[in-house]
Amino acid sequence: MVAVTAGDWFSTPENYVFLAIALPLVFAGWRVVTSSNVVHAVLYLVGALGGSAALFLLLGAEFVAWAVVLVYIGAVVVLFLFGIMITRAPIGVEVELSHPLRVRISAALVSGALFVLIAIAALTAFGSESIPEAEVTRTADIGQSIFERFVIPFEVVSVVLLAALVGGIVIARRDPSPEEIAAGKETL
Amino acid sequence: MTVTAGWYMALAASLFTIGAAGLLLRRNALVMFMSIELMLNSVNLTFVAAGRELGVLEGQLSVLFVMVVAAAEVTVGLAIIVAVFRNRATASVDELTGLRG
Amino acid sequence: MIDYHALAPELLLAGTVLAVLTVDLLRVEKYWVAVVGLFGLFLSFIPVLTLGFCDTLTFCEDTGTRFLFGESYAVDSFSLVLKALFLGSAFVAVLLSVGYLESDRFWQGEFYFLMLSSVLGAVVMASSRDLVTIFVALELVTGPTFLMAGWRKGDPRSNEAMLKFFIIGVLSAALLLFGMSLVYGTTGELTFAGIRAEAAGIRGGDLEALFTVGVLFTLLGFAFKVSAVPFHFWTPDTYEGSPTPVTAYLSVVSKTAGFVGLLAICYLAFRDATFLWGPALWVLAAASMTVGNLAALRQTNIVRLLGYSSIAQGGFILVPFGAAVAAGVTDVQLEEAFFATVTYLLIYAFMNLGAFAVIIAGGNRLRSAEIGDWAGMFGYAPGLATMLAVFFFSLAGIPPLAGWFAKFVMFRAVLSVGGGWAAALAIIAAVNSVIAFVYYAKVVKSAFMDPAPEHVAVADLARMPTVPSLQFALVLTVAGVIVLGIFPGIIAEIGELTKTFASGF
Repeated sequence: MVAVTAGDWFSTPENYVFLAIALPLVFAGWRVVTSSNVVHAVLYLVGALGGSAALFLLLGAEFVAWAVVLVYIGAVVVLFLFGIMITRAPIGVEVELSHPLRVRISAALVSGALFVLIAIAALTAFGSESIPEAEVTRTADIGQSIFERFVIPFEVVSVVLLAALVGGIVIARRDPSPEEIAAGKETL
Repeated sequence: MTVTAGWYMALAASLFTIGAAGLLLRRNALVMFMSIELMLNSVNLTFVAAGRELGVLEGQLSVLFVMVVAAAEVTVGLAIIVAVFRNRATASVDELTGLRG
Repeated sequence: MIDYHALAPELLLAGTVLAVLTVDLLRVEKYWVAVVGLFGLFLSFIPVLTLGFCDTLTFCEDTGTRFLFGESYAVDSFSLVLKALFLGSAFVAVLLSVGYLESDRFWQGEFYFLMLSSVLGAVVMASSRDLVTIFVALELVTGPTFLMAGWRKGDPRSNEAMLKFFIIGVLSAALLLFGMSLVYGTTGELTFAGIRAEAAGIRGGDLEALFTVGVLFTLLGFAFKVSAVPFHFWTPDTYEGSPTPVTAYLSVVSKTAGFVGLLAICYLAFRDATFLWGPALWVLAAASMTVGNLAALRQTNIVRLLGYSSIAQGGFILVPFGAAVAAGVTDVQLEEAFFATVTYLLIYAFMNLGAFAVIIAGGNRLRSAEIGDWAGMFGYAPGLATMLAVFFFSLAGIPPLAGWFAKFVMFRAVLSVGGGWAAALAIIAAVNSVIAFVYYAKVVKSAFMDPAPEHVAVADLARMPTVPSLQFALVLTVAGVIVLGIFPGIIAEIGELTKTFASGF
C-alpha cells in the first residue's frame, strides 16, 4: 500500500508547492462544471489550465507547459468566448442548467467512487518510489522524436486539423439564399 | 519524500471525474465542451507524470498530439454550436428533442 | 530509409484528398470532384494489391511484415486486407453520395474531401501498432464524420444528430485517452509489442490495479465507437438524422475502424490479459445482440431499423471476442476467433452497404423512410424489391447469401473454445439470429406481399429510374453478397492470411 507517512510528507518543501497548485486546480475544475454563469465557467477553465501548466513546469516539461498556455489559454479559451458571444448565451445565471437534486447526488457519488478507485490504484502503483530528479526536457529532443518515430501521427494530425478547418467553415457558414445563387453571386 | 507520480495521477483522476460528472449533468453545450477540455487536460497530466516517472520523452510527445486533436475538436464543436444555434437559437441540448431516444 | 512502397496506399490517398480539394476550386461541374475521388480510391487500391501479392511479383522484394518507425506502423496481411476493405467500402459510399448530393443543394466538394480524409484515417488505423498512432487515426476517422452527420444544415434533425454524435464521440475519445495514458504509465511503452512484453510482468504486482483500470477505460472508449450496448443510445438518433449516405458510411467504415482498433489492441497489446477483456466483451456482445434486436422489432422507420440492426450485428461481431472469456483459451482458439471477426467484418461491409444502397434508391422514389410506405414495392420496382430481399436475408444469415458464412464462422469460433460461458454466448447468439430473422423478413414480406398504400403513386414510381452511380453500387454489393455466399472459400482464404497476425510476431 501507500508507503507515505504523514510526517515525511509534510517535512518536504516541494510538496507544499505541489499542494499550492493542486488544490486551487481542483477547485477551479470543480467550479468549471458547477458555475451557473457560463462566462465564469470559462474563466475558471483558464485557472484550471494555468494550474496544469504550472504542474508541467514542476515536472520539467517546459515545452508542453508553454504549449498549453499558448494553445489552450491563448486559442481554445478565446474560441469558447467567441462561442458564448455568437450563441448569445445569457451572461447571468442560468437556472435550467441542472438536473434534479436526486440525479446530481447519484452522479456525484458515482464519480466520487470512481475517483477513489483510480486514486487508490494510482497511489498503489506509484506511491512509494519518489519521482526521479527533475531534468528539464530539451525542445530539440522533442522535435527530433516527432520527425523520426512519430512522423505518421504528425502527418495524420495535420489532416485532422485541415478537415476540422474546412468542415467547420462549411457547417458554420450561412448558406447563400436561392436568390443570391440565381444572381450568380454565390455558388455551392 | 517528495510528491510521487501517483499523486499527480490521483490529481488527474479527480479532474477527470469532475469533468465526466459535468459532462453528464450540465445541459449547456458550451459547458459540456469545457468539461471535455478538463478531461483531456487530466489525460495530459497523466501522460507527463508517467513520462517523468519513466524518464522518457514519449509521455510529453503524446501530450502534444492530444492537444492538437483537442484544438481540432473545439473548432468542430463550435462550428456545430453555431449551426445548431442558427436553427434553434439555443445552446441547451434539452431543447433538442426532435428525435426519439 | 523509409519504405515508400509500404506507405504507397496512404500517400496516394492523401494526394487524392488534396486533389479533391483543388478540383473543387476549379469552375467545373461538382460531379468531377466525385470522379477524382473515385479514381483516387481506385489508385490507392493498386499498391494494396502489389503489397499483398508481393511474393509473386518480380519487381517487389518480399520482406514479409514490414515494420516502419520502430514497430509503431506495420504493413502485414491483416492491415492490407482491412485497407482493401476500407477503400472498397469508401468507393461504394462515394457512389451512394453522388446522386444524393446532387438531388439537393449541398456543399459537394467539401463533402467528398471530408469523407476521403476519414477514409485516410481508417487506412492508417489498419496499420497502427502504437497507442498514439491509433488514437490520432481514430480521430481522423471520426472527426470529419461529426460534420458530415450535420450536412443538411437547415434540417433540425440533422443538427441534433450532429450535436449528439459529437458529444458522445468526444466523450469516448476522452475515455479512450485516459485509459491509454494509464496503460502507458503502467507499462512504460506505447507500441503494442512493448505493452504486451511489459504486461506479462505486471500481474500480481503493485501496478496491476492501475493497469486494469487503464485496460477497462480503453475498452470503454472503443465500446462507444462501435456502439455496443449500453453505449449505443446515440446510434439510432444519429443514423436517422444524418443524410442516408453518411449513415451508410458510419455504419460500415467508421464502425469497422472501431473494430479494427479493438482487434489490434486486444489481440496484440492485451494478448495476455484475456481474463480482463474476455468477460467485459462477453457482456457487451450479449447485451448488444439482445437489446439491438429487440429494439429493431418495434421500429417503423427503416433507417432506425437498420440502426438497431447494425447495433445487433456489432454484437455478433463481438461474439468471438467474448469467447476469450474461457480460462486457458489457447493460441489456436484465439486465432480462430480473430479470423471469425475479420470474416464477419468483410461480409458485413458488403451486405450493410447494399442494404443502405437499396434504402437510398427506395427513398429517392418514395420520399419516405416509413416501412409502411414500402409495402408493395415488388409491384412497381421488382428489381429493387428483390435486392432488398437479398440484402436483408443476407443480414439475417440465410444461405446461400454471404451472411450465412459470417454467422457460421462466428459460431464455429465460439464453439471450438467450449466451456459453459462460451456455450451460453453461442445460445444467446442463436436465439438472436431467430429474432433478427423476424424483423428482416417482415420488411421483405411487406415489400413483396402487401398492397401498396393508397397515397403512393405507383404509376409514377414505376417510371422513375435509379441514378447510374447508385445502380453501379447496387451491382457491386449484390455481386459481392451472392458470390461470397456461394464461394465462401474466397473470403476464407483472405481471412486465413490474417490469422498469422493473430498469433503474434
